[in-house]
Amino acid sequence: MNEEELLKKLREAFSGEADERLASLSSSLLDLEKGGGGEDKARALEVAFREAHSLKGAARSVNLTEIETICQAIEGVFAAMKRDEVSLSAGLFDLLHHCVRAIEDSLSASEGGGPDQIGELATLVSRLQEVKAGKEMKGSKRIPKEEPKAKGQKKSPPEKIEEKPREEEREKEEPAKEKPAPKPQLSQEVRESQRKPLASESVRISTAKLDLLFLKAEELVSLKLASGQHLADLKEIVRSIEIWNKRWGEIGPELRALNRMAQEGDGWDNLSGFLDWNHDFIRSLGKEIWGLTKGAEREGHTLGLMVDDLLDDMKRVTMLPFSTLLNIFPRMIREISRDQGKEVDLLIEGGDVEIDRRILEEMRDPITHLLRNSIDHGLEAPEKREKQGKPRSGTIHMNVSQTEGGKVKILIADDGVGIDLAQVKKKAASLGVMTKQEIEQLDDRDALSLILESGVSTSPIITEISGRGLGLAIAQEKVQKLGGLLSLDTAPGRGTSFRMELPVTIATFRGILVQVADRFFIVPSSNMDRTLRVHRDEIKTVENRATIPLNGKALSLVDLARVFGLNQEKDNSAGNGFLTVVVLGAGERRIAFRVDAVLGEQEVLVKSLGKQLKSVPNISGATILGSGRVVPILNVNDLLTSSPDASVQAPGLKAAEGEGEKKSILVAEDSITSRMLIKSILEGAGYLVKTAVDGSEAYTTLKTGEFDLVVSDVEMPKLDGFGLTKKIRSDKKYSEIPVILVTGLETQKDREKGIDAGANAYIVKSSFDQSNLLEVIKRMI
Amino acid sequence: MNSSKEKARTLRERARALAREPEGIEEDESHLEVVVFMLAHERYALELTHIREVYPLKELTPLPGTPDFVLGIINVRGQILSIIDIKRFFELPEKGLTNLNQVIILESEEMEFGILADEILGTKSIPASTIQASLPTLTGIRADYLKGVTGDRVVILDGEKIVSDEKMVVQ
Repeated sequence: MNEEELLKKLREAFSGEADERLASLSSSLLDLEKGGGGEDKARALEVAFREAHSLKGAARSVNLTEIETICQAIEGVFAAMKRDEVSLSAGLFDLLHHCVRAIEDSLSASEGGGPDQIGELATLVSRLQEVKAGKEMKGSKRIPKEEPKAKGQKKSPPEKIEEKPREEEREKEEPAKEKPAPKPQLSQEVRESQRKPLASESVRISTAKLDLLFLKAEELVSLKLASGQHLADLKEIVRSIEIWNKRWGEIGPELRALNRMAQEGDGWDNLSGFLDWNHDFIRSLGKEIWGLTKGAEREGHTLGLMVDDLLDDMKRVTMLPFSTLLNIFPRMIREISRDQGKEVDLLIEGGDVEIDRRILEEMRDPITHLLRNSIDHGLEAPEKREKQGKPRSGTIHMNVSQTEGGKVKILIADDGVGIDLAQVKKKAASLGVMTKQEIEQLDDRDALSLILESGVSTSPIITEISGRGLGLAIAQEKVQKLGGLLSLDTAPGRGTSFRMELPVTIATFRGILVQVADRFFIVPSSNMDRTLRVHRDEIKTVENRATIPLNGKALSLVDLARVFGLNQEKDNSAGNGFLTVVVLGAGERRIAFRVDAVLGEQEVLVKSLGKQLKSVPNISGATILGSGRVVPILNVNDLLTSSPDASVQAPGLKAAEGEGEKKSILVAEDSITSRMLIKSILEGAGYLVKTAVDGSEAYTTLKTGEFDLVVSDVEMPKLDGFGLTKKIRSDKKYSEIPVILVTGLETQKDREKGIDAGANAYIVKSSFDQSNLLEVIKRMI
Repeated sequence: MNSSKEKARTLRERARALAREPEGIEEDESHLEVVVFMLAHERYALELTHIREVYPLKELTPLPGTPDFVLGIINVRGQILSIIDIKRFFELPEKGLTNLNQVIILESEEMEFGILADEILGTKSIPASTIQASLPTLTGIRADYLKGVTGDRVVILDGEKIVSDEKMVVQ
C-alpha cells in the first residue's frame, strides 16, 4: 500500500472517529450548558476535554493541521474551565458549538476543507485563545454569522499545502485570519483588476514554473560546455592542417624535382597538376576552417557570457531572504522552551541576507536541530541560571551574514552550560566511534567534533526533542551535502556556538573528472585535497589496511574501483610502479583513493538522479559533460564513512540484514486512527505487530506472546501508559523489554513521569510522518 | 448535368461508406491503447496512460551501488533519468544492447523512470474482450505487474502498478 492510499484509508477511519467524538462533545457541551453543578458538571467537562484531546491526536496523525489546531484550542478552553479560570457564559457555549459545527463542515467538505473553512477555523482558533487568555465573552454578538456557502468554493482545496510542514501552513493561515470573509468584495476586485492594467511591481509566480525556467537556463550551461568542446575539436583540425602544411614544406624540394621530371614529358603532367591543385585546395580549406574557428570562438565567448549572465540572474530570481525561513523559529522556540520550563530569548539578525531557495529549504532541518539542541542541552533551567549569577532567561543568538568569499555564515550561539568534553569522549568510546587511546590523543577541537557523530549524545533519555544523538549528525550531513561546513565552539559554563558556512547557490561548482576502470566520475573540487603519484613501494599496510605517507603522517589508501565493485585492469601503474592517488577530505577526515587517471577540472552542473533513485551509496548526483556523456558525482562524505568497509574484501553486507527473524512489537492505543497508522507504519518497516485498545488489554496480550518492544499511548481508558509501563517493569519477566511512550502531550512533568515509570523513550505523536518512531525503535531492538 | 448529379451521388455514397464504423469494432466495446514492444523473444504491451515518451537509447551510464534491475542513467534533453530492466523481474534472457533498443519513459506524479525495450513494435488498440486476466502459472511478481494476456500472447503490463511500486524506488 503506498503512502497516499494509506493516508486516504486513514482519513476515512478518522472521519468516522471524528463523527463519534464530535457527537459526544456536542452532547457534553449541552449537559454543561444545562447547568447543574458539582459532580455532573465535572463529569461532563471531563468527557468534553477527553474528546477534544483525542480528536486532536487523531487529526494530527492524519495531517489535518487545521482541525488539530482548533481541537487544541478547544482543549485549552476546557482545561481553563477545569481550573475555573473561565466563566461559563452563553456566549462561550455559542462559540464552542460553533467550533464543533465548523469542524463538521470542514470534514464534510472534501479533505481539510476549502480556503473558506480554513479561514473560519483560524478565526475560531484565535477567538478561543482570547477566551483562554481570560477575555470575557460579551454575549454572542461577536460570533460571525456563517457565510452562505457559495457554490464551487471547495473545488480547489490546496492539496499542496497539506503536504507541507505545519509551520508554513500556519503562516498561510494568518492572512486568512485578518480577513475572515471578504468574498463578495474580492470577486469585485478581481473583475476590476481584469479591466485595469496591472500596476503592481511584483508578480507571484509558482515555484514549479520558476524551477522549470531554471532547469532550462541550466541546460544552456551544457550547451555552452558543448560549444567549448566543438571549438576545441575545430582547433584540433586547424592544428592538423598546420602539421600538414609543415610536412608539405618539408617535401617541397622533392616535389619540385618531380615537377621538373614531369615537364620533361613522361606523361606525368596530370599528376603534377593534381598535386598543385590538391595543395591549394587543402590550403584554402584550412583557411576556411580557421575562419570558422575564429567565428566559433567569438560566438562561444558571447554565448558563454550570456549563459552565465542568464544563470546568474536566474539564481538571483530564485533567491529568498533568510527571514522567510527564520520566521518560523520564534514560535517553535517558545513552544519548546515552555514545555521544558525554560526561559529563552531568541535574537535574530541578518534576516535580509539572500540565499538560494533550495538551500534555504534544506536548511530548515539543520537549524531546527541546532536550536532544539541549544534549548534541551545548552540552556539551564531559570533557577539554576540564577544560582550561577546568569540572567534568568537564556539567550540564543542567531546571526546570518554574508562572508567575503561569497558564502553565507549562520551563527547559532547560546549562553548555556557548554559541552562536557569528558562526557562526549566517554560516549564516543562506548559507541566504538574510536578506541579509547585514539580519543585520548585528540585535541579539544577534534574531540568536540565527535559530538557531530551519529549516536553521540550526552543526554540520559530519548525524548521528542533530542537525546538520540542524531540531530547534530543530521545537521552535519545536510550542511556538508550542500557543500558547506559545520563547526562548533564551546566554553564550559558560558555556552556553545555552532557555525555553518554555506554557498549562496548550489547550481554549479567546480569538479574534477577522474577515471576508474572504464568509468568516469566527478569529484567536487572542494573535497579534493590533492592528487599524488605514489610509488608502489611506498604503500605499507597497518593492521592489514593499505596506507601511504603524506607529510609525515600515515593516510589510508582505498581502491576506488573496489568501493564500486568495478573490475580494474590488473596493473595501472603504467609500468613504472607509480599509482595515481587523489586525497579526498571532508571536515577533519581524509582518505587517499587510488584512481586510474585524473583528467582535469571543469565547471559542473549538479543534476538529481531522478525520482526513482532516491539515494545511491557514494553518489550524490550526476552531471552532463560537454560531450553529452552522463557522469556520476561522488558523494565524498559517504565515501569517507563507507570506504573502511570497502577495503575489506567482503561485499556481503546487505545479506546480513533482514535475514534475522522478524521482531515483534505490541502497540497499545485507544484511537482507532492512530492504532491503524502505527500498525501499518511498523508493519511497513518489517515488524510483526499486535495491537491492544488499552493498557490492561495490552498487559494481557503481552503475557500471551513473545514481544521485543512495547509502543504505548499515554492517555488510555482503564490503564494508561504510565500505569502499563509500571506494571511491565514490576514483572521480572518483562523488566528488560523496551517501552516507548507515544503521546499527544509533552510537558516536563509528563516526561519525568515517563522516566519514573521506567519508559525508555518518550515521543510526541507528530503528524503522519512517523520516521521518528521507527528510528527510535531501530535503536532499541 | 446528369453526370454532375451522378458525381454528387457517388461522392455522397463514398462519404457514407467512409463514415461507417469499420467492421469488427463495436461502438460500446472498450479498447486499450497500448505500445507493443519486445522483451527478449516475447511481446509485451503497456497502456499509453503512463507513458511520457519513447526515447532512443544512445548512451547509458551504469551506476555502481544500485540494484541489478537498474541499468543506469541517461540524459534526456538535460534531464537525468534512470533506466530499469524489467526483464530481470521475469527472468528473461539478456539480449545485449543493440541500436534497436528504446526506452519507454513512464511517469506519474511521484515517479519517473524509463524501462528498456529490446525493440518497439508500434502502437495498437486492443479490444478489452480479447484480454485474458492471467494464467495459473504466473505468480509472484509476474502476476503483480500483469494486466492481462491477449489471445495472440501479447503480455499487457500494468503501468500503474509498475510506476507506483515502492520496490522500484532505490533508497
